[in-house]
Amino acid sequence: MELSQLDKILRKVQKPAQYTGGEVGSVVKELTPGMFRYAFCFPDTYEIGMSHLGMKILYGLKNQKDDIWCERVFAPAADMEEQMRQNGIPLYGLESLDPIREFDMIGFTLQYELSFTTILNMLDLAGLPVLASERTDLTPIVMAGGPCACNPEPIVDFIDLFVLGEGEEVNLELIELLRKAKAEGWSKLQYLEAAAQIPGVYVPSFYDVSYEEDGTIAAVVPSHGAPQRVTKRIIREVDKVYYPDSFVVPFVDTVHDRAMVEIFRGCIRGCRFCQAGFIYRPYREKNWDTLEKNARDLCASTGYDDLSLSSLSTSDYGQLGPLLDHLLDWTDDEMVSLSLPSLRVDNFSEELLRKVAKVRKTGLTFAPEAGTQRMRNVINKNVTEEEVMETARIAFAGGYSTMKLYFMMGLPTETMEDIEGIIDLAQKVVDLYYSMPTRQKGKGVTVTVSCACFVPKPHTPFEFEPQDTVEQLKAKQKHMLDYVTSKKININYHDSDISRLEAVLARGDRRLCPVLLKAWQKGSRLDGWSEHFAMSRWDEAMEECGIDPAFYANRRRPYDEVLPWDHLDYGVTKGFLVREHQTAVQSQTTPHCRERCSACGANQLLGGPCFGK
Amino acid sequence: MENNFTPVRIFFEKRGRAKYISHLDLARCMQRAIKRSGLPVWYTQGFHPHLYLTFALPISLGYESLQDSLDIRLTAPVEIQQLLDDFNAALPEGIRALRASAPVMKPDKIAWGEYQVSIHLPGHSGEELLRGWEAFAAQEEVLVLKRTKRGEKEMDIRPFFTVQQVEAEDGQLHLVLLVAAGGTLNINPALITDAYCARCGWENEGIDVIRRQLYTETMEIFE
Repeated sequence: MELSQLDKILRKVQKPAQYTGGEVGSVVKELTPGMFRYAFCFPDTYEIGMSHLGMKILYGLKNQKDDIWCERVFAPAADMEEQMRQNGIPLYGLESLDPIREFDMIGFTLQYELSFTTILNMLDLAGLPVLASERTDLTPIVMAGGPCACNPEPIVDFIDLFVLGEGEEVNLELIELLRKAKAEGWSKLQYLEAAAQIPGVYVPSFYDVSYEEDGTIAAVVPSHGAPQRVTKRIIREVDKVYYPDSFVVPFVDTVHDRAMVEIFRGCIRGCRFCQAGFIYRPYREKNWDTLEKNARDLCASTGYDDLSLSSLSTSDYGQLGPLLDHLLDWTDDEMVSLSLPSLRVDNFSEELLRKVAKVRKTGLTFAPEAGTQRMRNVINKNVTEEEVMETARIAFAGGYSTMKLYFMMGLPTETMEDIEGIIDLAQKVVDLYYSMPTRQKGKGVTVTVSCACFVPKPHTPFEFEPQDTVEQLKAKQKHMLDYVTSKKININYHDSDISRLEAVLARGDRRLCPVLLKAWQKGSRLDGWSEHFAMSRWDEAMEECGIDPAFYANRRRPYDEVLPWDHLDYGVTKGFLVREHQTAVQSQTTPHCRERCSACGANQLLGGPCFGK
Repeated sequence: MENNFTPVRIFFEKRGRAKYISHLDLARCMQRAIKRSGLPVWYTQGFHPHLYLTFALPISLGYESLQDSLDIRLTAPVEIQQLLDDFNAALPEGIRALRASAPVMKPDKIAWGEYQVSIHLPGHSGEELLRGWEAFAAQEEVLVLKRTKRGEKEMDIRPFFTVQQVEAEDGQLHLVLLVAAGGTLNINPALITDAYCARCGWENEGIDVIRRQLYTETMEIFE
């Protein structure tokens, strides 16, 4: 498509520069006959999708190959969607502006459950049938990967194949296989049969799921030669894996518009609520000198003046001292500011604060996650109140006067006492501020308490746990508001309806596919945006499909139940998750991986111990 | 860093897909381009230093421009050709630096903009479009609703544009207009074309606008 064909509609939409391509760093190739065309789709708007590091890595990785052209595709905002539908403009790749239905492969990244209906909408906007069974041609193959692929069952009707784990190798393997299939004239079935033999590839149509009378799963039986269990892929040596030396630099403002380096994968902590902490295991870190080079290359090629270290827990990085010293050597002179997200309170030092503060003084955010020590022990967030207070003391002494604290409510075994503990802790932080002789006279403190509703996730020790009902969550929210006395404490909390829907989808099975289809047909898309979300559409869809959301959200699963994702192997064994769950309900903690190996099973993926090789 | 710098005005064109870059986004885009180019530029002093740049009168979103300008401050001497080459190598598609020199005039000297405008009016013959235009332009007063910070107000825009050229083909009217421009009074050419269409009882399917040049009150080119 020519840009001039878009002129008419771009005049009528907000932030048109997100739909034109042409950004610095975007890759435009000549369409040679053997060119493999890949559409990397992020099922949310440009401003969200362009912040995603995984897309930047896989985009660069594919485009490094002369015979692969990977383009970016995002969900249009409502005004653009309307214009596209009115004017018959199909969903297109931002680099070529060509319709993606003509591409060889379409890949979606699954970052959060509420993006699922947007996938259907994007397929439809592309002019493709949303049901995989109705897409009978060999191309385009529609694949998906990312964290929600660890339980993709609610969307198996729409996607041809899933990639489990890290994508750097398996994406290229799937592309080469499809190239071969095209050359040899295979059918789509032939391709999927061959793809199912690639480690880490899950072809859901090759698995037959049967159910017990009580609605639980009886068995999951593979066919077409697909493996009984699909094991996720990892990159063993992350220090040597491809990392982009340039990013696409957006014109419009995006959520994270900055240079990012990935300092490690996995996490040593094992917080029991955190899916990322389990599905990204084992812990593997990059060397500081590799990271420093990545950072230099990126800053030079993009012109970014903001550099961020990306990981699940920045302060756990084993080489943080040398890395920061070497980065601060040049970032100051080159007017690049450095941000360190995901700091933990238990190893936050004055020295670290000084290094962060040297660059930019923004607010500090910490995540105690729970208000009482007992509750923190249950979730294995091994942080003590003393550590939280010590961190606050350091921060206040360093001139900070605002602090954001993240918590969850609805955690397993939680009582109202634990809810009160959240406010008690925030109040202690407020009191600490006023007790400090160093505080600036006349300057008040603001402590923001941000409280999410807990959503039990697959592949975590809480995968067996019921979620609190919406009524329980609302009662806890109300109690929390009633319990606050200080005006220095601001409280934010999440919509309990949305959290409940997330809980249904996160641990759903393939009987939810018709619900998704109906919810989308009723207008659901961009559900992560409060202006688009309507619970009523989902309620109606579930009712029409005879689905009881409580079965998925609020039911305790016995340890021996066949869970919809049990045939997807993320390294961490179910036996370990059961052990962790038992330890949790006794309010006992488990040490982090550096301190002691708890035999979660993820080191099988490495073929050896995670530490002390 | 000391306050020792040389101001430089860079004239650039903003065409093709670059016309969709908004003013705010353009500032960020230029900042990054300058950073990528490695040019020695001055940063504002203070706690959050940022790269100094300022635009004379950035073109509106959706319009192309052949002569927009950007002022930066150099902290070390750079030959003009070198500066243009380095900067162009760092700019995105559609934006091209054309020339650079020491700023001559202050941006508040800008009084007129010369625009090339095409109005899309499918279903109308060229002759019909021309006749409509002549009647429109012959009016002594053209009242339009102009949006301001305080809401809408009616104003006569007839004193604020002159017609330099008119051509028509079937379905399209092509104009060259001189329109009031600048920080205090800036008339969007769409106000004129909308008034024309409204008078004729037509609805246009969009306009293409290219700003060709900026002039002072005495019709000197803005330098």
